[in-house]
Amino acid sequence: MTSIQMPQLGETIVEGTILKWLKSEGDQVKADEPLFEISTDKVDTEVPSPVAGTVTKLLVAEGATVPVGTAVMEIDDGSGAGGNGASAPASAPAAAPAQAATPVAEAPAEAAPPAAQTQTQQPAAPAPTAPAPSTMPDRGPRSGILSPIVRKLARERGIDLATIAGTGEGGRITKADVLAAAAPPAAGTTVAPLPSVGPAAAAVMVAAPSMPAGQGEEAQPISHIRKAIAAHMLASTQQTARAWTMVEVNVDRLVHLREDSKEKFQANFGVKLTYLPMVTRATIDALQQFPLVNSRLDGETIVTPRFVNMGIAVSYDAGLIVPVVKGADGMNTVGIARAIADLAARARSHQLQPDEVQGATFTITNPGPYGSLLSVPIINQPNAGILSLDGIQKRPVVVEDDAIAVRSMVYISMSWDHRLIDGELATRFLARVKHNLETWDFAEDLGL
Amino acid sequence: MTERRSAWLLAPPGLIDYDVANEAMHTLARRRLDDEIPDSVIVLQHPPVFTAGRRAAEDELLWDEATVTARGGAVRRIDRGGSFTFHGPGQLVVYPILGLGGRPDAAAHLRRLEEVAIRTCADLGATVRRRADVQTGVWVDDEKICAIGVRLLRTRVTLHGMALNCDTDLTWFDGIVACGLPDHGVTSLTRVIGRDVRVDEVAPIAIRHVADVFGLAPTEAPDEIVRPFLAAAVA
Repeated sequence: MTSIQMPQLGETIVEGTILKWLKSEGDQVKADEPLFEISTDKVDTEVPSPVAGTVTKLLVAEGATVPVGTAVMEIDDGSGAGGNGASAPASAPAAAPAQAATPVAEAPAEAAPPAAQTQTQQPAAPAPTAPAPSTMPDRGPRSGILSPIVRKLARERGIDLATIAGTGEGGRITKADVLAAAAPPAAGTTVAPLPSVGPAAAAVMVAAPSMPAGQGEEAQPISHIRKAIAAHMLASTQQTARAWTMVEVNVDRLVHLREDSKEKFQANFGVKLTYLPMVTRATIDALQQFPLVNSRLDGETIVTPRFVNMGIAVSYDAGLIVPVVKGADGMNTVGIARAIADLAARARSHQLQPDEVQGATFTITNPGPYGSLLSVPIINQPNAGILSLDGIQKRPVVVEDDAIAVRSMVYISMSWDHRLIDGELATRFLARVKHNLETWDFAEDLGL
Repeated sequence: MTERRSAWLLAPPGLIDYDVANEAMHTLARRRLDDEIPDSVIVLQHPPVFTAGRRAAEDELLWDEATVTARGGAVRRIDRGGSFTFHGPGQLVVYPILGLGGRPDAAAHLRRLEEVAIRTCADLGATVRRRADVQTGVWVDDEKICAIGVRLLRTRVTLHGMALNCDTDLTWFDGIVACGLPDHGVTSLTRVIGRDVRVDEVAPIAIRHVADVFGLAPTEAPDEIVRPFLAAAVA
C-alpha cells in the first residue's frame, strides 16, 4: 500500500487544493500516470503516481485544501506494507520531504528524524478513513463561487473564508455568512476547527480570540511564508527545552583588524569583510571541540554529524530564511565569507535552491548590524542550539592591573536545547568561542 | 556558476492567436516532458483575450460575453494557476517551457518569473517589487504590472508564465476582477515611466533576463517548431 501525499512544490508552499481527481477508487494506474490536479498559489499541476497499482481510497474531497504532506490517496501497489509513514517519501517523487516545508524549518532531507517527522505530521493529516467534514468542497476560499463583495468583506473582517460553511445556493458563502462569522461566538458555542492550515499554524490562528481590523487599522491576509515561519517558530518553542547562556567577548583586535584591512580584503576577495565569518569560524572550532552542540535528537537517539553545515539566518522581503553553508568545517574564514555573501545575496533575490536551505547542523543569527545588544533566539530545529551575534559596542572594561579601559565588546549568546545539552557544556562551548575570538590571529586566515 | 542550459527561443512577431499558441505551447511541453526537445521560451503578444484559471470565479468576469465580443475580445478557460487575467496588444507575454528536474520547486519558478520582470523594469527605469503580503506577481504600489500564472505537467515541466504590461490598453482590465483581487489595480510600464514603452523595446531586455535568471543559453528554435506560431499571427 502506498499513500500519496499533497506534494511539496517549493519550500514556501505549505498547502494545496485538490482541483480534480483524475482517478477513482478501483481504477488501475501506471507509474507516472497523472492521479489528480492540484492548485497552489499561482501554480496548477497534475500529480503523477509514483507506483503502478490500484487506487483503493480517495482520502479528501475535491475542492479541499490540505497541508503539504497530507495523505490524500491510497494505492495498492502489491507491496502490502501498510502505513503511510513508510511509503511517504517514495510516494511523492516531486516532493521535497514534507517537513522541509519552510526555509526557517528544520527539515533537511538528511537530517529529518523520522520520529520528528511523524510527530509533526500526525496532526496535519486527516484520519485516513474519515475525511473531516471541514475539508469538504465549497468551503475553500477559491473553490466555490464567491462574490467580490463577500471576499472584500471577509478580508476587512479578517475572516478566513475556508472556515465558513456557506448557507447560500449550493453551499455558497453569502454576505450574511461572513457577517455571522465575524460576530463573536455566543457563549457555549464551539468554534469550528480551521481547515487548510498546518497544525501549528492552526494553533497560531486559534490561540487568541479574533479581533478583526477596525477603523484606522489595515487587514492583510497572512502570507504563506509568514504562516510557515509562525508554525515552525511555535513548534520549536513547544518541542524544545530552551535555555540561554551569554558570554561577553572583547573583540577589540577584530575591530582593528577589520578597520585596517577591509578595503584590501574587498579588493582581494570581492566581498565585504564583516565579523560574521570570523565568528562563524570560531564557532565551528568550538563545535568540533564539543560535538554534542552540533548534534540533534532523533527520537531517543543522539545523532552527531562529523561535519558542520552552518545555517545563517537571513532576513529578506518575504520574512526570514536560513541558507546553509554546507561543509563549513572545511572552509577558512575567506571561504566562509564568500559563501555567506553568496547565499545572502541569492536569498534576497529569491534564487536559493531547496537544497541550500536544508541540512543545517547548527545556526547563527546576526541581529547586531540592526543595533541589538542582546537576543534570545528560537532554536532552528532539529539543531541543538542557535548562536546570536549581537551588536559590538565600545564599553569601559577592567583590564590587566585593575585598570579601566575602553574596548570594543560584544555579547555572544546561545539558545540551547536542554534535552541535549546541560549548562556546563553550553558555557564551556561559549567560552571556547570567546577564547578563539580573543586569541586567534585572523589576519593569516583572512589572507591579509 | 553552473553551465547554462541550451534553450530554444521562439519570438514570433505580431499578435498570436491565443488558442493556437496555447495548443502549440502544450505540444512543446509534452515533448519536453518526454525529453524529446530542450527547454524553450516563447515570447509573444496576443490579440485581446480574457483567460480564466481553474479557480477563477464566474462573477469575476464583469462584462458579458457580448460586450467582450463587441470590443474584439474573447474569453478562454484554461489550465493555469490563478484567476482571471487579460492578454492583448502592448503586453509582453513570456511562456518558459522548462524541465524542473527531479526536485521541482514551483515556488522558486514563480520567484524567478518575478525576478525577470523586476530586472526588466529596472533596466527601463521603473522600480517595481514583489508583494509577498498580497499575491505572486510584480507591483508598483497597489497596482500590478506583471501577472504570473503557471501550470506544470506531472509537476516537472512548466507551462504558461508571465504577462508584463508595456503599453497595454488598461481599460480592458475593467472587464474583470484581475487576479481575483477587487481592491488592487493594474498599471503598465508606459504609465509608470511616463512615456510610450512598446513591447519591441522591452522584449530583448526581458529575453536577456530570462536567460540570466533561468540559466539558459537561448538559440533559435527550428523552423518546424516556430511555424505553428507564425501561422497563428493575426496582425
